[in-house]
Amino acid sequence: MKAQRVSLWLLGTMLSLCSAHARGLRRCLISMDMSHVEETFQDIKRAIQAKDTFQNVTILSTSETLHRIKPSDVCCVTKNLLAFYVDRVFKDHQELDPQILRKISSIANSFLYMRKVLQQCQEQRLCPCRQEATNATRIIHDNYQQLEVRSAAIKSLGELDILLAWIDKNHQGTPTA
Amino acid sequence: MLPRLLVLLAALLSLRLRSGARGKELPSPPSVWFEAEFFHHILHWMPIQNQSDSTYFEVELLRYGEEHWESISSCSQTLVLSCDLTMVTLDLYRSSGYRAKVRAVDGRKHSNWTITRTRFSLDEVNLTVGSVKLETHNGLILGQIQLPRPKMAPEGDTYESIFPYFREYEIAIRKVPGNYKLSKKVKHENFSFPTSGEMGEFCVQVKPSVDSRVNKGIWSKEACIVLSQQYFTVTNLSIFFTFVLLLCGVLAYHLVLQLYVRRRGTLPAVLVFKKSSPFNLISQLLSPEIQDTIHPINEEAFSKVSLGLRNSELHGSTDSGFGSAKPSLQTEDPQFLLPDPHPQVRGTLGKGAALELENNCSGGSSNSTDSGICLQEPNLSPGMVPSWEQQVRSSSQGQDDSGIGLVQNSEGRPGDVQDGSALGHVSSLGPEVTEEEDPAAVAFQGYRKQTRDTEVKAAKAGCLEEESSSADGFGPPVRMCLDAEEAWPPPALAKGYLKQDPPEVTLAPSQAPAGQWNHPTEEWSLLGLTSCGHLGTSDWSFAHGRAPLNCVAAPGSLLGSFDSDLVTLPLISTLQSSE
Repeated sequence: MKAQRVSLWLLGTMLSLCSAHARGLRRCLISMDMSHVEETFQDIKRAIQAKDTFQNVTILSTSETLHRIKPSDVCCVTKNLLAFYVDRVFKDHQELDPQILRKISSIANSFLYMRKVLQQCQEQRLCPCRQEATNATRIIHDNYQQLEVRSAAIKSLGELDILLAWIDKNHQGTPTA
Repeated sequence: MLPRLLVLLAALLSLRLRSGARGKELPSPPSVWFEAEFFHHILHWMPIQNQSDSTYFEVELLRYGEEHWESISSCSQTLVLSCDLTMVTLDLYRSSGYRAKVRAVDGRKHSNWTITRTRFSLDEVNLTVGSVKLETHNGLILGQIQLPRPKMAPEGDTYESIFPYFREYEIAIRKVPGNYKLSKKVKHENFSFPTSGEMGEFCVQVKPSVDSRVNKGIWSKEACIVLSQQYFTVTNLSIFFTFVLLLCGVLAYHLVLQLYVRRRGTLPAVLVFKKSSPFNLISQLLSPEIQDTIHPINEEAFSKVSLGLRNSELHGSTDSGFGSAKPSLQTEDPQFLLPDPHPQVRGTLGKGAALELENNCSGGSSNSTDSGICLQEPNLSPGMVPSWEQQVRSSSQGQDDSGIGLVQNSEGRPGDVQDGSALGHVSSLGPEVTEEEDPAAVAFQGYRKQTRDTEVKAAKAGCLEEESSSADGFGPPVRMCLDAEEAWPPPALAKGYLKQDPPEVTLAPSQAPAGQWNHPTEEWSLLGLTSCGHLGTSDWSFAHGRAPLNCVAAPGSLLGSFDSDLVTLPLISTLQSSE
């Protein structure tokens, strides 16, 4: 009887945590339309990625970073990466082509909105950050710093498709408005 | 010293330039790009200028984030401007992508590398469908989209698993007659659209897409279906076969009913009546047993009949007077005159009486229960007037019966009453015959009516017509009616007659109920004979019995008296005696 009670209690706890986690993440990003950002990037992807000459170096898709992020850290890592792009990548890149600059600006504004929503979720303790999430964010920052700023910025802009695919993958099943 | 160093430096520079020129003599391919579909990744490049036949291209592949480039030797073929890199890029859908570079090589010369401008990733895969299947159902066209199933895809990497959400399909419908197009978007692999009753060919194309992704879609090949008016549907055929089965069942039921249930019973042979046919009629005519024919009585036979006929020869008690089979009857001369029977009655009486006589004669004379003349049923002949049954007194019984019994008159004296009795019921004389009496004295044991007058009148009504039509002589019409009017009730009601006294005592029956039998007979018999002496034998039938009446009719008064004295037995006996 006691073993049954304990097992039932554990099962209920797990279900509640999972639902809370799912509710938290999905609730933070439920109103974001990622397809608009993806379409915008596709228009400038060829121009941006063509300028990336360091193909054997990656900033985001390393074996220690995005591919090893756990679902519980997705909300925190997403928030940190959005802040990285807004605070460092978009500011370090200097685009001379106005059409490309215009689309980069549109993407940056979408990232600002998404970061603000996730910050509100964090204040409500709906998006906790663990040590694993913090470590993954530090590695990305180290990779970015190993390159020259301009090349790093170009490379980071060129890897927006990786970030958007990762966000889309971790937030699938939540139709956006 | 210095000039030597300058010459050496120039030589070294020239050598370097030559080597560089040889390495860069070949132009690099202008562009390199990927064209990919679901698990079908093809690297393309453009040819170089002044390309020779020995020029080939080298391809190298880099997984994004790794340091080393992988050379793809299978792509190093001459005059080939593309290479399938699917097998080396199977994890494209789970990685960050690849970079590829190509350079031209011709002998010892090679070109620079040309790298793909973009990182080859999942976003560059063009979405396609495997096939489209169409079918019709109740006026709808049902379509099913088959997703691509490439053979080289790793196990678990299906279209649905890579793009689990937001799959969409744009459907373009083209109708061949009229060539109008219709497009719609569906979010599932099964779709349908109504045809609105239109017939013809419908062609469908499908372009897939993922709403959350920027992947481009490629239109599939056209799948067409032809709609035509269907008469032989499953429903129609099932109804048709159901009706056929029901009809067969009904027919089988009736067939079984006719053959095995309602078997015609065959009538027993005894009950089978022969159909009338000419041959039958002829045979009936020839048959002595035919009831409706009149057999003229042989005058000679009648001549033998006399009042003195013995009962014994004729019958027992069962026999009536008309023993036509009896030879004695035939030898008798007609010695008595009888009123003409009714024509209808004559014919019928002749037969009926004959039959009766036959029956009675053949029935045995010993039986004393039956009277002499047993008339047939009244309905045997419509005009049967005779209403009395003659009771024949058998020799054994004595006085129980009275009636006309034909007795063989050995003397052949005419005027035997028996002649009249041969006509049986016709006779109004009702002679009595007793076998004990002398033939001459054998009185025509008459009989007297025992029935009412009302019945006589009924019979009279039908007979008056006949009487008028047969006024000539003693023709065939039997004027039974005259007699019946006076003395005879209808046969149906006649239930018998009483034996009368011998003629010498009185021929007038003492028990005549109506009194009509009591008319004196002397006058009648005498006059009848004299006036009818010219009567031929041929006339002797039932009519003969009546002929005397006709003859007697000439003298009206006598006839009138005769009419009332048809059963005046003494008259006949008187005639015989007079002769």
